[in-house]
Amino acid sequence: MVEGLTSTIQLVSLAMAVWCTVSAFRDRPMVVPHLVGMAVLWLLTIAQAVVSSVVWAGGDPPAEPATLVGYLATVVLLPPACAVWGFMERSRWGPAVIAFACFILPVLMVRLEQIWNPPVV
Amino acid sequence: MPQKGAARSGPGRVLVAVYAVFALAATARAGVQIATRFEEAPLAYLLSLAAGIIYIVATVGIARSGRTSHRVAMVSCAIELCGVLAVGTLSLLDPAAFPDDTVWSGYGSGYLFIPLFLPVLGMLWLRHVEKGRTPERAQTS
Repeated sequence: MVEGLTSTIQLVSLAMAVWCTVSAFRDRPMVVPHLVGMAVLWLLTIAQAVVSSVVWAGGDPPAEPATLVGYLATVVLLPPACAVWGFMERSRWGPAVIAFACFILPVLMVRLEQIWNPPVV
Repeated sequence: MPQKGAARSGPGRVLVAVYAVFALAATARAGVQIATRFEEAPLAYLLSLAAGIIYIVATVGIARSGRTSHRVAMVSCAIELCGVLAVGTLSLLDPAAFPDDTVWSGYGSGYLFIPLFLPVLGMLWLRHVEKGRTPERAQTS
């Protein structure tokens, strides 16, 4: 896996999480800039999926292929799904949904790395 | 103001999102485990699958606005709470019975104990929504 891409996704995701937590506490609904942020995050996760596929096809298969595909699919689907679900809610709870999802995404990325390179016990 | 009786608006929106993530996590995990190594720990994997299905039912039940949906969601929250308490206790008393973790092992310790709190929050929220919808009933009963 590409180190830089994973940590970029984690940083962007955490930044979105903090921003949306602040919006939720300030009693603001989701606005278009939030959506743009989620779109950027979505593109990054798609890039992650593409890079993973290329590395895989290049002869570096993961330890648990089925689990990895499951996590990759989740990582790619999470940003658009929560963006739509949060945007439908015109209150502070819209950003709260995004904040929750964006706190989970970095954890998913850690799991993804672990599945790709299992820690030696 | 959130619409009366709509469990999916306001804080319910976050609740449904959390439930959806757990539904996916438990079901996908069980699916992979059953497909790749069922014979290693059949009980744990079937429990994971059952947990996943119950989470899906709860997610849909809270997201839909009918009273029956809420009742179904309430029941699945109750099953979740019993499940996490039972499996949590069993996994501590008899770790050999659970060689591989489920979402409910150790009271959900692998998932920040969210499986322990989630059904309680779900039931409190559903009760709150139902009270808002029928105030006259809530007073008499």
